[in-house]
Amino acid sequence: MSSGRFLDKSLKVDWFFLFLTLCLMVCGVLLVYSATNNEKVVFYETFWFRQIIYFVCGSAIAAGIVFLRLDWLKRMVVPMYVAALILLVVVLFFAGDVVKGAGRWIDLGIFKLQPSEFAKIAYLLTISYWLSRHPVSLFKLKSFVVPMLLFIVPFALVLKQPDLSTALVFIAVTYVGFFFAGLTLTDMFLLASPLLSVLFSHSQTTMFQVLWGLLICAVVFSLVRRRLPKILTVLFLVVNIFAGYASSMAWNMLQPHQQKRVNTFLDPMSDPLGDGYQVLQSLTAIGSGGLKGKGFGHGTQTNLAFLPEEHTDFIFSVLGEQFGFMGCAVILVLYFLFLWRATSTCKLFSDPFITLITMGASTIFLFHILVNIAMTIGLMPVTGLPLPFLSYGGSFALTCMVLVGAILCMRFQGHRQ
Amino acid sequence: MFNKSDNESVQNRNWNVLVYMTAVFVLFVILLFRLYSLQHTHYDENFQRSENNRLRRVELVAERGFIYDRNGEVLVRNRPSYQIALQALNLPRKKAGRDSVFNALLHIVDKDGKRMFDSLSLDTAFQRTRWIKNRPIRILEDASPEQVSIIEEHSEKLPGVVTLIESRRAYPYGTLASHVLGYTSEISEEQLKLPEYENYSQGDRIGQKGLEQFYDQEFRGTNGVKVVEVNASGREISQVKGVDSKAPIPGLHLVSTIDLKLQKVAEEAIPDTARGALVAIDPRNGEILAMVSSPRLDPNIFSLKKRERNKGWAQVALDSLRPLTNRAISGTYPPASVFKLVTAGAGLEYGVLSEFKHYPKSCTGGFQYGARYQKCWGSHGNLNVVNAIRLSCDVFFYQAGLDIDMTRINEFGRRFGLGEKPLGVDIPGEKAGWLPDSVSFNLRNKRLGWRWARGLILNLSIGQGQIVTPLQQAVLVGSLATNKGVYRPHFMKELRDSEGNVVRKYEPEIVRSGKMKESTHRILMAAMDSVVNHPGGTGKRGRVPDIRVGAKTGSGEWKKGEKTHAWYAAVAPLDNPEIAVAVIMEAAGGGGAVSGPIARKVLMAYFGKEDKK
Repeated sequence: MSSGRFLDKSLKVDWFFLFLTLCLMVCGVLLVYSATNNEKVVFYETFWFRQIIYFVCGSAIAAGIVFLRLDWLKRMVVPMYVAALILLVVVLFFAGDVVKGAGRWIDLGIFKLQPSEFAKIAYLLTISYWLSRHPVSLFKLKSFVVPMLLFIVPFALVLKQPDLSTALVFIAVTYVGFFFAGLTLTDMFLLASPLLSVLFSHSQTTMFQVLWGLLICAVVFSLVRRRLPKILTVLFLVVNIFAGYASSMAWNMLQPHQQKRVNTFLDPMSDPLGDGYQVLQSLTAIGSGGLKGKGFGHGTQTNLAFLPEEHTDFIFSVLGEQFGFMGCAVILVLYFLFLWRATSTCKLFSDPFITLITMGASTIFLFHILVNIAMTIGLMPVTGLPLPFLSYGGSFALTCMVLVGAILCMRFQGHRQ
Repeated sequence: MFNKSDNESVQNRNWNVLVYMTAVFVLFVILLFRLYSLQHTHYDENFQRSENNRLRRVELVAERGFIYDRNGEVLVRNRPSYQIALQALNLPRKKAGRDSVFNALLHIVDKDGKRMFDSLSLDTAFQRTRWIKNRPIRILEDASPEQVSIIEEHSEKLPGVVTLIESRRAYPYGTLASHVLGYTSEISEEQLKLPEYENYSQGDRIGQKGLEQFYDQEFRGTNGVKVVEVNASGREISQVKGVDSKAPIPGLHLVSTIDLKLQKVAEEAIPDTARGALVAIDPRNGEILAMVSSPRLDPNIFSLKKRERNKGWAQVALDSLRPLTNRAISGTYPPASVFKLVTAGAGLEYGVLSEFKHYPKSCTGGFQYGARYQKCWGSHGNLNVVNAIRLSCDVFFYQAGLDIDMTRINEFGRRFGLGEKPLGVDIPGEKAGWLPDSVSFNLRNKRLGWRWARGLILNLSIGQGQIVTPLQQAVLVGSLATNKGVYRPHFMKELRDSEGNVVRKYEPEIVRSGKMKESTHRILMAAMDSVVNHPGGTGKRGRVPDIRVGAKTGSGEWKKGEKTHAWYAAVAPLDNPEIAVAVIMEAAGGGGAVSGPIARKVLMAYFGKEDKK
C-alpha cells in the first residue's frame, strides 16, 4: 500500500495494526472504568483492572501465536476441530453455570471456558484450511458438501445451547469464506436473496411489496446472466418466491400473542418497560450524549445505573453518552482502520489459506461490531454479542487477542515462507 | 489450489477484498447516519428523556399545625407514622422478579410469628402497580417500628418496597374535647368534587369535624417540592439545587380558647355513659373555655391503620347514643325553665312586669286556662317575678306570658342569642334554635295540620316548645349577666406560625345587641342570684363559696314517662361576669339536682376553689 515506514510491506510486523489494537484496548478499559467506577471495591476486583489482566494475558497468547508456523497450524486443524466439537457436546450436557437461562460455560476452577468462543477459532481454522484446498463453485455442487458438513455440526450444537448470535457468527464466517474461495459477487447476492425475500415480504406495505418485486427481478436477471445449472436456477426462484409468500402466510397462521412476541423482538420499543427497556435506555443514553457528549464520568444514565449490562453488551451506549457523536465516530474510524489493516494483510501474499484466515478473522470482528452497535442504537433486535475490545468479558477478550495474533501470524509467517 | 493462474486469482482476490471493505464502509456510514440522527436531530427529546429518568419531583408535605389550649398546653400534635409501600418503578420488571418479591413479602412474619401481609390485599396492591407508576402504593399502613425494622432487614430481597414516613395526628388527651378538636382522615371522593376542596388532591389528609375541619386551610400550610436525582432503582442519589425547589411552609398553630384544666374538670364531671353536654364561655368576649359532649369519641382511631380504623368507626357510627354528634352545638333541646329568664326579661323590658307585680292567681299547683288545666311542679303561692324565678313557678309565667305576648318574648330572646340564626361559632355543625310565634308555628306545622292557639303561649312562656342548643343557653345567661352585647362564641384565640409569631388574632365581634334596661338587668340578676343563694332556690346545689353565682335551672319535658332533660345555666360572678356555664344532661331528671353539681365543679375549678371534706 502506502510507502511510509510505518506501513512498509516488507516489515514482518504490521505496527500500525498493533497500534490500532492498543488504542482500542485503552478505550475499552477507560469505558469499562467509567461504566463501573461507582462500585466500591478494592482495585484488583474492579472490572477495569480485570479487563487489563485479560488483555495482558491475551497479548501474551497472541505473541505466542505469531510464532506458530503455517504448516503446524494446518496440522492442528483436525485435532482443534474435534476438540471444539467435544467441548460443545460437553457444555450441552454438563453446563457449569446457567447465565440468562443458557448454559454456555464449563467451569474449570481457575477460569470459565466458553466452548463456543473456542469453536469460533477452531471453525475458522478448519473451514479456511478446507476451502484453501477445495475452492467452491455453484457449477460443482459437490464442492459444497464437505464445507456444509463442517459448518452444520458446530452450528447446530451452538444453536442448541441456545446461542443464536454466536451461531450467526458461523454463518457469517462461512459466507465470507465462500466469497474468497471462488464464488462471485452475483453468487453472493443469489445466496443472500432468500433472506432478503423474507425481510421484504414481512411487512405488507406497498413499498415493501415493490422492493420485493425488484428483488425478484434482480434474482431473475442474475440467474440469466450466470447461466447456472437448471436445477439451481429453479431452486433459487422457487426458494425466493416461497420465502416471500410463506413468511406472510406463516405470519398469519401465528397466534396473536406469538405475533406480539415476534414484534417485541423486532421492535423492542413497543414494550418500553419490559423487553424494550434496555433498548430504550440505551437510545436515551446515546441520544442524550449529543454531538460532544456529557464528558468522561458524567454519564447520568450510566452513573445512575439506568443502563442495563452497561459494561458488557451496552458499552457502546456508555461511549455515546459520555463522548457523543464525536466519540462514536472516532471509535468507528478506529474500527474501520483496524479492519482495513487486517484485510490488507492478505494482499501481501497469494496463499489462499492466509487470505481465508485473515478475511475470516476480520469477518468475526466485523460481525460483532455491526450487530452490537446496531443493537444499541435500535436498528437490530437485542442479542448478546459483545463489542470487540470495548466490552468487558474475559473469554471474548481472549478470542479477540487470539484473532489479532492469527492476523499478525499470517503476516509474520507469510514473510518467512 | 486455485485453478486459474496465480496472478489472475490474486487480482481477483484483491478485487474481492476491495468489495468487502466497500461494504464495510457503507455499513459504517449507515451506523453513523443513525448515530447522527439520534445525537443531533433527536438530541432534545433524548436529552429530556434522560433528565426525566434522572430527576424526580418529590412533594414535601408541610407539617400540620398544632392546637394549643389558652395556656400553651398542646392539645393536638403530630406523630410520625410509617407506611410500607410499593414503588412501581422500582419493582423488578420481569414477572418472575415480581413474584419473588410477592412471595418474600408473604412469608415475612412479625415477632409473634404472624404474617404481616395478607395475600389478598397484597395481590391487589401488586395489580395496582401496573397502572399507578408515579406514586407509592401502600401495603401496610401505620406500621410499628418493629415491623419497619423487619422490612428493613429483608430489604435485599424486596426491591421496590419502601418505607415512607408520614405525619399523622396525635391527640395526647384521647377523648378530651374530641368534638371540638375533630379529627383528620383521607379526603373522600365526595369531598374532592366539592368546590371548596379544589386545591386538594387524592390521598391528602384533611380535617374532618371540629377545629381540624374549620381551620384546615390554616393547619395545612403549603406543600413544598424538591427535585431529586434518582438511579434506576429509584433510590435518591442527591437533591438537585435548582429553581424548582421550594421548601414546605409548615401550617399555622392554633392557640385555642380552651382551658385545659377546666376542660379536664368538665370531662370528669360528666360520665361517659351519660348523654349530655356542657359549654363554658367567657361572656365578655365569647371565648369558649370548655365544651363537652358526651358520649365522646377518641379521635386517635382515625389515624390508625385501616382495619382498626374501620372497626372503631363502625363502633362509633352504629352506637345508638350517637357519640359523633357534638351535642353542645348540634344538640337541640327545649330550653325549659331557663327560658323563664327571657319571659321575665321581656316582661320587665316592656313594662308588663315590675319588681313588685303580683298576679291575681296564686300558684296552687296549676292553672286553669279555658278547658285546660296546666300544672305547676309545686304549690308556690303568690309570687313576684324574682321569687317566681327562684322557685321556677310555672303559674306565674303562664299569666305573664299571656300578658306579654310571644312576639315580644321572642324579640327579647333573640337579642340575647336565641333564635333561628346560628351564633357562628368557628366549628362546623352548629344548629340553629327556634322561637315559635303564631306565624312560624303555623308555617312549620302546616303539614301536620296544627294551628296556632293562644293556649300554646302557656307552654312557650315556660320554655316548652322552643328549640335551643346548649351553646345558645350559655350565651344567653352570659349576655344577660353582662348586658354588654352578645359576642360571637369562638375557639380561635390566635394563629401562630412555626416560629411562634402571631399571624392572626381573633377580634371579639358583637353578633346580637344583647342590651336591656338597667332596671331589667338589676332585677334579673337579683333573680338569678336568689336561685342559687337564697333559701328554697332551685339551684342551691350550684353554690360556690365566696363567689356570687347566678343561675337558672330547667327540667325539659320531651317524652311522656321519661325523665326530664336536666338544664343548668349559671354565670359568675354576678357583679362582674367572667364565666357562663350551661349544662344539659339528657333524660337525667331535675336540673338543679343533676346538672347543678356538674356546673358547680366547673365553677369551683375556674375560681380555684376546693371542697373541704
